[in-house]
Amino acid sequence: MPPIVEVNGLTKRFPGGITAVNNITFQVHEGEIFGFLGPNGAGKSTTIMMLTTLLRPTSGRAHIAGFDIIKQPNQVRSVIGYVSQDLAVDDNLTGRENLRLQAGFYHLPAREARARIAELLDLVGLNERADFRVETYSGGMRKRLDIAAGLLHRPRLLFLDEPTLGLDIQTRREIWRYVTGLQQSFGMTIFLTTHYLEEADVLCDHIAIIDQGVIKTIDTPGHLKAQFGGDIVTLRFAPGTSQEQEALALESIARLDVVSNIQKTGDEVMIITPDGDRTVPVVFETIQPLDVSVQSVTVKRPSLDDVYVAVTGRHLRDEVIDAEASRRARIRMRRVKS
Amino acid sequence: MNGIMLVDAYYVYWREMKRLSRQKTRIVMSVIQPVVWLVLMGNMMTGLTNNPFAARMIGADSYLDFMTPGIMIMSALFGSVFGGVSIIWDRQTGFLNKMLAAPISRTAIPLGKMAGIASQAALQVIVIGIIALLLGVEFATGPAGFLLALVIIILFSFGVSGISLSLATILKTHESLFAVMNFVTLPMMFASNAIFPKAAMPSWLELIATYNPLSHAVTPIRTLIVQGWVWDRIINGLVVMALFALVMIIVSSRQFKRSVG
Ligand SMILES: Nc1ncnc2c1ncn2[C@@H]1O[C@H](COP(=O)(O)OP(=O)(O)OP(=O)(O)O)[C@@H](O)[C@H]1O
Ligand SMILES: [Mg+2]
Repeated sequence: MPPIVEVNGLTKRFPGGITAVNNITFQVHEGEIFGFLGPNGAGKSTTIMMLTTLLRPTSGRAHIAGFDIIKQPNQVRSVIGYVSQDLAVDDNLTGRENLRLQAGFYHLPAREARARIAELLDLVGLNERADFRVETYSGGMRKRLDIAAGLLHRPRLLFLDEPTLGLDIQTRREIWRYVTGLQQSFGMTIFLTTHYLEEADVLCDHIAIIDQGVIKTIDTPGHLKAQFGGDIVTLRFAPGTSQEQEALALESIARLDVVSNIQKTGDEVMIITPDGDRTVPVVFETIQPLDVSVQSVTVKRPSLDDVYVAVTGRHLRDEVIDAEASRRARIRMRRVKS
Repeated sequence: MNGIMLVDAYYVYWREMKRLSRQKTRIVMSVIQPVVWLVLMGNMMTGLTNNPFAARMIGADSYLDFMTPGIMIMSALFGSVFGGVSIIWDRQTGFLNKMLAAPISRTAIPLGKMAGIASQAALQVIVIGIIALLLGVEFATGPAGFLLALVIIILFSFGVSGISLSLATILKTHESLFAVMNFVTLPMMFASNAIFPKAAMPSWLELIATYNPLSHAVTPIRTLIVQGWVWDRIINGLVVMALFALVMIIVSSRQFKRSVG
């Protein structure tokens, strides 16, 4: 099956000289969840806006479900759904009216539209508030409504730009439960950007890390983490262990096949190994005859954060805060003006 | 123009009308404003029509007869000149992108908005018509003339909101659109025959007033009220308004397509 998204050398240069997206090439396969990860201003939204026909690329090509984004924009539009990072719901309408409008824009027959709207309102838990104006909704409710609007015409490919930014953990989980449920029942493909690594890690089949308009790496979350070199086992010897005993222990651990790297920082020993769970018993067997006792041991899988830091030189945690701040500023601006 | 485009425009229009129906203050104000104008101006100026010389210049026995079409057009003007704001607003909230990501005709967006603004102008004029009737202003032509007046108002509103929407695609902020449109509105108002008869104007102003599209909307309505079916005074304004609306629909949808292209 040909990929549902095929991007070739796509570039966007804004007037004023900023190259937001610089010659990116990648593919997304039908039915998968594809994640775009990157710091603020990396070019994630710009890429999505080009793929959703909202922004004209400076150069390069892209096809969605075989349709050229420049030459066949209307065909592309009927295949995709788009939930922007802007919370684009109409405050003056009710939740149900927002969805009815969306159904109109996608030319759904009235009867079908009514049924799907009822079903989706139920699904995103907005049934009781459906006939209240969106003005009275919380941020999470608005986001759920916006996502419902994106799902209404059952797109083959759904773009979600920062779908859970600024929502509490519980709402985030709920949203992902809805979305993955739908994805499974309709075989939909999802293209998402997120600042939450745990989300990307759990949800995505493939992840692209993008920085300053360039794709740094694309792979499965598992491979990305494996590339980093395996698990981290941290060991702390019991107080009173002598220098010689410790040196001897370290030496014998380092000789083990399962250990790819060992490092001592302070009174902690860090062991890098492809498989942490199996390494721990082996390490214990090795040091038992040496009569040293261990105070604590922890096994940690390298997080996507470790990968992210290695690739972009930045912590994503700070990014979440930045992104949150800019989102709030955007919303604040809107409130002031309204 | 095709069927799908009209369906799309209908949904854009539907949204505009829903939004309007929720703005209670705006609805109340849009009724109060013309009432105040009618009552205030009508009373203030009745002295004028007692003076036979002035009455001849005005061309009507009562200043209210003369004034009513002016108030109608003025309300339509004020309601339409800021029509472009809604597109700027949609751009800032991201709603415009939401619409543009859907497979809808691009022309449908400005067209639906213009239709929304024109309907609003028409509703306002119906209210003014009723109030004017209560104050004794009757169409010499009877109710049919009022319907024709509504058609003229709708065409006028399409034209003016088309100007506003076209400017909105270039200016991109409320502030600059407000500034430009405010600058245009009052001169357009006073350099027309809406409030003062052309006969009372200095010749340079009279020249401007003659070509001002506003005058072309006022003259046929005034004729319908004061004189009746005097077609050679009506037809000219009707044709000019139809052209004005058509040209502005084309210009604004081109501008819009270019700005989102
Ligand atoms: N309309 C525009 N005109 C000029 N520059 C722009 C425009 N839109 C985006 N940019 C610039 O392009 C770059 C990429 O922006 P983009 O919105 O794609 O980033 P992002 O990865 O989505 O960031 P975030 O995580 O903050 O949403 C930024 O430097 C931004 O300032
Ligand atoms: Mg973004």
